[in-house]
Amino acid sequence: MRKINRLVTVLGLGTALLVLANAEEVTPIVKEASKLDVKKVCDVKTNGLEKVLAVAKKYNPEAIKLGVEFKRLGIRNSVYIKGLEKAIKAKKPEVTLSYKKKGKVKKKTFKTDYATWRACTFAVRSLQQVKEAQKDYHLAIPGDGLK
Amino acid sequence: MIGNIIKTSVVLVIGTTMINAGSFNTQAEKDRKALVSYFMKKFSNPAKNKTLFPYANSKDFENLMPVKKVEDFRLGSYAYNKEGRSQYDEINEMPPYEDNVDAGEELYNKTKGIKQCFPDPTIAGEYPKFDQKKGKVVTISVAIDNCLKANGQKPWKMTKGKIADLEAYFASKTKEAGKKVHITIPSKEAAEAYERGKKIYYSQRGYLKLSCATCHVQGAGNRVRREVLSPLLGHTTHFPVYRLKWQGLGTLERRIKGCEKNQGENPHKPGSQWMSEMLYFMAYMSNGLPVDGPDIRK
Repeated sequence: MRKINRLVTVLGLGTALLVLANAEEVTPIVKEASKLDVKKVCDVKTNGLEKVLAVAKKYNPEAIKLGVEFKRLGIRNSVYIKGLEKAIKAKKPEVTLSYKKKGKVKKKTFKTDYATWRACTFAVRSLQQVKEAQKDYHLAIPGDGLK
Repeated sequence: MIGNIIKTSVVLVIGTTMINAGSFNTQAEKDRKALVSYFMKKFSNPAKNKTLFPYANSKDFENLMPVKKVEDFRLGSYAYNKEGRSQYDEINEMPPYEDNVDAGEELYNKTKGIKQCFPDPTIAGEYPKFDQKKGKVVTISVAIDNCLKANGQKPWKMTKGKIADLEAYFASKTKEAGKKVHITIPSKEAAEAYERGKKIYYSQRGYLKLSCATCHVQGAGNRVRREVLSPLLGHTTHFPVYRLKWQGLGTLERRIKGCEKNQGENPHKPGSQWMSEMLYFMAYMSNGLPVDGPDIRK
């Protein structure tokens, strides 16, 4: 019985060591973003436009670096951030963003507070997804997590 | 006791490493077989596997044909989509990509260096490849552009135009020769690239939080508006494709860019490590299926 117990312990430890050795780490900024409550940090009414945009500016460069930047309606999140910087500085209630579609330059106008909320949630969520994927992607694989 | 634990753990780690080092495609083969089994189970009798089609109604089930052979997945969703298959067969009576294959043949014979780089044009099933010297995955589009650069020429756009025509010629010759998809994983580095590609494929991204697998593994056979979603198995076998939406021929890289845009993320550059490694994983999943390109899709 003692031998079996010892064998089980050893096997368990060995497996744990293997899992630890194979586990990938995320960058510190991804870890930091993963702890944020998006609804709170991106709330424009509570925090103000400047503070919310600062959150977007802080996290979006890492999203670009990791290749997970969001894009909605043909507009990259970095384009939202760039346009919002000017609009907030000039205290404009609306922001007009340019983007390319099939080689043609097009424009879209958004309310500044709405676009700021979007830029912030896009930046934070893109990094949170990286952390979530670390453990969740196995669940979608036939023969692994997908039953 | 602790000494024994450490000793046994070290032996276990070394043993596992040695076993893995023997065949670098062990995990990939396991994944591929599980995927084939998943799709065969799902589509051998869709009406019997209703839980795998959670959003389908009775009309959707009427439109789903059973898939009898794994090779049929080279046709993508037309392997099981009755309505789509009849339209596909009709269009294929006069394939719109024939001129592209001819143009590709001309490019193959007349473009400086191409014939020397690719003396055998029946290579469509062998890419993406892991280049041991460069330590990275090379797709067929990347290999063509590398060849052009090596011969002092300007690389072609990797999504459409000349590159798609040349790839159509390669695919057509490979299909004529009756060759199958044959992707290899020759080293530990290649196996790591495969794993990264797999992770990309199965990870949820973008503002819609979708993974490629959401639509093309779990979602395959389900309907989005009027379209029946295609399966991962067989995805890479029929490219380049003439898409009715594009009104022209496009490479696999072009199609992936479109998918990424639909997921709500900024598409990755064709030829980037990200895209090449994902294509490596996707192509490996189709190993053993006949090369069936070029083809048509909606």
